[in-house]
Amino acid sequence: MSLDFSIVGAISVTGLNLMVPIALTAIGEVFGEKAGVVNIGLEGTILTGAWSAVYFSWLAQNPWVGLLGGALTGTFFGALHGYVAIWLKGDQIISGVGINIFALGFVPFAIQAVWGVQGSFSKCSVCGVPEISTPWSPLSYFVPLTVVVAVGFWYLLNRTRYGSITKATGENPEAADAVGINVEKVRFLAVMIGATLAGLSGAFLSIDYTGGITKDISAGRGFIALATVVFAGWKPMLALAGGLLFGFSQEVSSFATTLPAIGHTFPSVDYIFSALPYVVTLIVVATAIGRSRFPKALGTPYRRE
Amino acid sequence: MASTTKELVKTSNLTKTYPDGTHALTGVDFSVTKGEIHGLLGENGAGKTTLSKILSGILKPTSGEIYIKGNLVRMKRPSDALGLGIGMVHQHFALVRPFSAFENIVLGTDLNPTGERAKEAKAGIAELAMGVGLQVTLDSPVESLALGAQQRVEILKMLYRKVDILILDEPTSSLTIKETGELFKSLLKLKEEGKCVIFITHKLREVMDFCDSITVLRQGKVTGRISKSEASPITLARMMVGRNVEFELKRPPMTPGEEVFTIDNLTLLDKAGKEVVKGLSLKVRRGEIFGIAGVEGNGQTELAEAIAGIRRVAKGSIRLKGIETGGKSSSVIRRHGAGLIPEDRRQMGLILEMNVEENVILGKQRDLQFRGSLTSIAWRKVREFTSDLMKKFEITAKGPESPARSLSGGNQQKVVVSRELSSDPDFIVAAQPTRGLDVAATEYIRKLLLDSRGAGKAVLLISAELDEILQLSDQIGVMYEGRLIGVGPAETMSRERIGLLMGGIVA
Amino acid sequence: MEESAFAALMGFFFGGILLVVLGYNPILAYYYMFYGAFGSLSNVTDMLGNAAPLILTGLTFAVGVRAGLFNIGAEGQVYVGAGAAIYASYYFLPAGLHLGFALVLAGAAGALMAVPTYLLKAYRGVNEVITTIMLNWTAYFGMLWVAIVLLADPARPEKTISVAPSSRFPDLLLGSVSTSALLFAIAVAAAFYVYLWLTPSGYELRSVGLNPEAARFSGINPRRPLLSALLLGGVSSGLAGAVQVAGRTTPYALYTGLSNVLNYGYNGIGVALIGRNHPLGIIVAGLFFGTLQAGFSTVQLYARVPFEIIQVIEGIIIFAVAAPELYRRFRGALKK
Repeated sequence: MSLDFSIVGAISVTGLNLMVPIALTAIGEVFGEKAGVVNIGLEGTILTGAWSAVYFSWLAQNPWVGLLGGALTGTFFGALHGYVAIWLKGDQIISGVGINIFALGFVPFAIQAVWGVQGSFSKCSVCGVPEISTPWSPLSYFVPLTVVVAVGFWYLLNRTRYGSITKATGENPEAADAVGINVEKVRFLAVMIGATLAGLSGAFLSIDYTGGITKDISAGRGFIALATVVFAGWKPMLALAGGLLFGFSQEVSSFATTLPAIGHTFPSVDYIFSALPYVVTLIVVATAIGRSRFPKALGTPYRRE
Repeated sequence: MASTTKELVKTSNLTKTYPDGTHALTGVDFSVTKGEIHGLLGENGAGKTTLSKILSGILKPTSGEIYIKGNLVRMKRPSDALGLGIGMVHQHFALVRPFSAFENIVLGTDLNPTGERAKEAKAGIAELAMGVGLQVTLDSPVESLALGAQQRVEILKMLYRKVDILILDEPTSSLTIKETGELFKSLLKLKEEGKCVIFITHKLREVMDFCDSITVLRQGKVTGRISKSEASPITLARMMVGRNVEFELKRPPMTPGEEVFTIDNLTLLDKAGKEVVKGLSLKVRRGEIFGIAGVEGNGQTELAEAIAGIRRVAKGSIRLKGIETGGKSSSVIRRHGAGLIPEDRRQMGLILEMNVEENVILGKQRDLQFRGSLTSIAWRKVREFTSDLMKKFEITAKGPESPARSLSGGNQQKVVVSRELSSDPDFIVAAQPTRGLDVAATEYIRKLLLDSRGAGKAVLLISAELDEILQLSDQIGVMYEGRLIGVGPAETMSRERIGLLMGGIVA
Repeated sequence: MEESAFAALMGFFFGGILLVVLGYNPILAYYYMFYGAFGSLSNVTDMLGNAAPLILTGLTFAVGVRAGLFNIGAEGQVYVGAGAAIYASYYFLPAGLHLGFALVLAGAAGALMAVPTYLLKAYRGVNEVITTIMLNWTAYFGMLWVAIVLLADPARPEKTISVAPSSRFPDLLLGSVSTSALLFAIAVAAAFYVYLWLTPSGYELRSVGLNPEAARFSGINPRRPLLSALLLGGVSSGLAGAVQVAGRTTPYALYTGLSNVLNYGYNGIGVALIGRNHPLGIIVAGLFFGTLQAGFSTVQLYARVPFEIIQVIEGIIIFAVAAPELYRRFRGALKK
């Protein structure tokens, strides 16, 4: 079996598409964590964002409204999480877990409630956006968008005054406070921005990638994104690369299961391969950690002495 | 008396009482004139840091007035102080470590550190730096800079914001001699420009060399305000530590026995690799209390940590009854017969969320005396033991089941001390044992240490409280900048002499 | 204690709002919920049966919190525990011993899954939240494969082979095996209590969780309690998996989509939080959540409310627990 150029092409395109949700979410989380707030609830945000994207598309019969709705859902959850973590000085991890569990219940519940079907809704005719056609399979516009977002956040963090202030609140909030920066407001904004990207990733998954909503559409991507943030050393461009790595490992795994050769040696091997991205994440996280430099004030609420 | 218009800073009857009742400052009248380097001298707990935190907007006073440039002000947050022209450089720098010096200096201002105006600003800062002799590489991350350079960044940060009043908290604690000299040259230039500097320190030599006038604080009150010409080490030391006072507790004469605890040429490093304890040696014998005096921050904390087994030893040795304990774990060290009393009872000595009896067995949870059936803990035995301990050491609480956090500071410390003493150690190290305690608890703990000495134990007392050292110690050494200077029998160490040594002057 | 009640109230309140918004009748829903839990004998045993695995997974999370960890690996450990218990049915042992053997295998499987988490945390400082989630997903796909390929029932493809009758929980009370399963779970909770409060290593675990510095100063090595917490947690959730297949009703097997073991791990987190991470509280909270779950299957039938509402409510409850400040402010507002 020779390696067809068309196969490589197909894998690449799908791999790039699969990069989007992880990279977008990771880039957003990089921003939030640079400000010192960790959002474990990304998974739930992606999932709920995906659902509301379909819901709003369906309601308005317009996919763009859906995309916007998904993103804003992210903003909403970011605000909730930020409120608890920053203003109420609560436990950031429990808050995130709460959001995830909420979403795990909410999405199937809402699918049933709104459309009367169980577990997934795909009869959404408006749930699709134009894509770039390539010789192999359609490439989403989100791919170049994600690259732009990555560059944009790199620029925001490293070339603007606002980025400087945001990073300061995550590294040394006392120093920031001492020069008059409102630490809480800056952090709150950063969390919301990050969560908005997660919501948008969910919207991408439902509107662009699958054209419908299933109750496990996020498939752990929120957590993979969290791992990607660490792996990327809190740098947006490396988060993009991380997304690419995981996107490709997902695509390779599902492609491998379609190969007849493999299908014959192992029954139901597609399950084993589906686990590949998660195993890859584990390996990456095990080897990469320790070398990266995390924001010093990450995870701790700021209290002026 | 300087006229009001020339006084940049003035406080009138300033008082600060913390919610737990500590009187940090009482009726402080303090003023600094234009073009003056003013020293603020005092031991730990004298109130210098509190005063500076109030002046820089971090804390609010309980009562009293503050006048800046002649106007009555009320500051609510640090940025208010900055707005009034007051900038403070803390002992532990408030810098964003991965940022460059330039980025740190302009943080929070309108300037984009990477924008087009940045180049201009950078040049301006470089000029400013040169003008006052505070040159520093602007583009490297501050964490890679030497501490002296980091300090310069902090000062430039203030100057960039056009502060007229610069407060420096123990500025020379992390500087080399050369850097100290350079700092002082810069301060002189600032003086020429009409700015004033408040120089907080415990080091007598510095305050006499660098400052035009000096205010001395002791236990929250001003005990002296003199000019450079009037100052001498002895007058300053006296103002800082007070005159000889008759003590209640008398130290019964003891003939010390064999050497139990030895430290030989100990060197300890901090995270950056800098020496925080340099070639320290001492011996403690049975029936003797060796007191290490000194203002906190001169290496005592690190020394106590190394003795307790929670800090690595870079060079030298620590020996208990001849056995090397440097680098061993705390449980091993205790097993060899040491009682370890940490300086922070709430962080390291107790688990506040647990109750008294659970705290009493901390470290002893596997002891046979508390063993029940099938390797369980027999809480009944623990309770009995705790009740006895509470009776014996007069620990007031509802009972062994009271949560540790509900006990007063004194009783909390009694729990820690009684726990350590209950295993009948041969050697006891007590770091700042009466810090934050009321008079009764303080006397009690001190008596416990004296009793241990009477029972033939060797005691190493580390304390910033000079009275305590003088009351209890047979041998006294003073720690200054990581070294033990001026070691001698208590009879040869007068209060003034120790005061001088604490200030760094070997006499 | 009141914070838990407050959080539960918030859950029901906002859950109710959600129900109204989406066109359901919350009163009806909540009524059927209680009916579903207490309405008939089989409902009651179903409710008790729900509580058992929830208590066990709750213990997993709770023992982690007690050691200062955020261990959410229960989910995957339930899967492998269930699989291990089914695998035990390939062997032939007399009645009581067979169940014991299955439980041992299940517990061991769960504990094994905790090992990578320990290694990565202790030696590489990797946050356990990430490790356990990745392991959960790996276990999910792994067990999907195992269920279909290794353990499948040739006669009925939608499930694995059934747990052998000699390996099931005994039918002690009320005509159902769930009661003995519940008693077993309570016994495990009691064992955790004994371990945490009556043994020296349990004491060390709690100390490290409450004040790692003081623990270190007293000579406790932080790695040992970390390992204990993770291993014990793994055992408990592995047992939960076993209970789900051997301690419920027919067909005493794993469905090939793993549907009858899903979400017990994650729901256990809510149980632990509401139960204040204490074995006694967890038993009560387990019964509470078991009631919710039992109730909502009926609610689905009678009030036509999708049963996932329970997770929605749980999520809100957990979120409310994150900020004790919330309760304080609520109380303060009430006082005015």
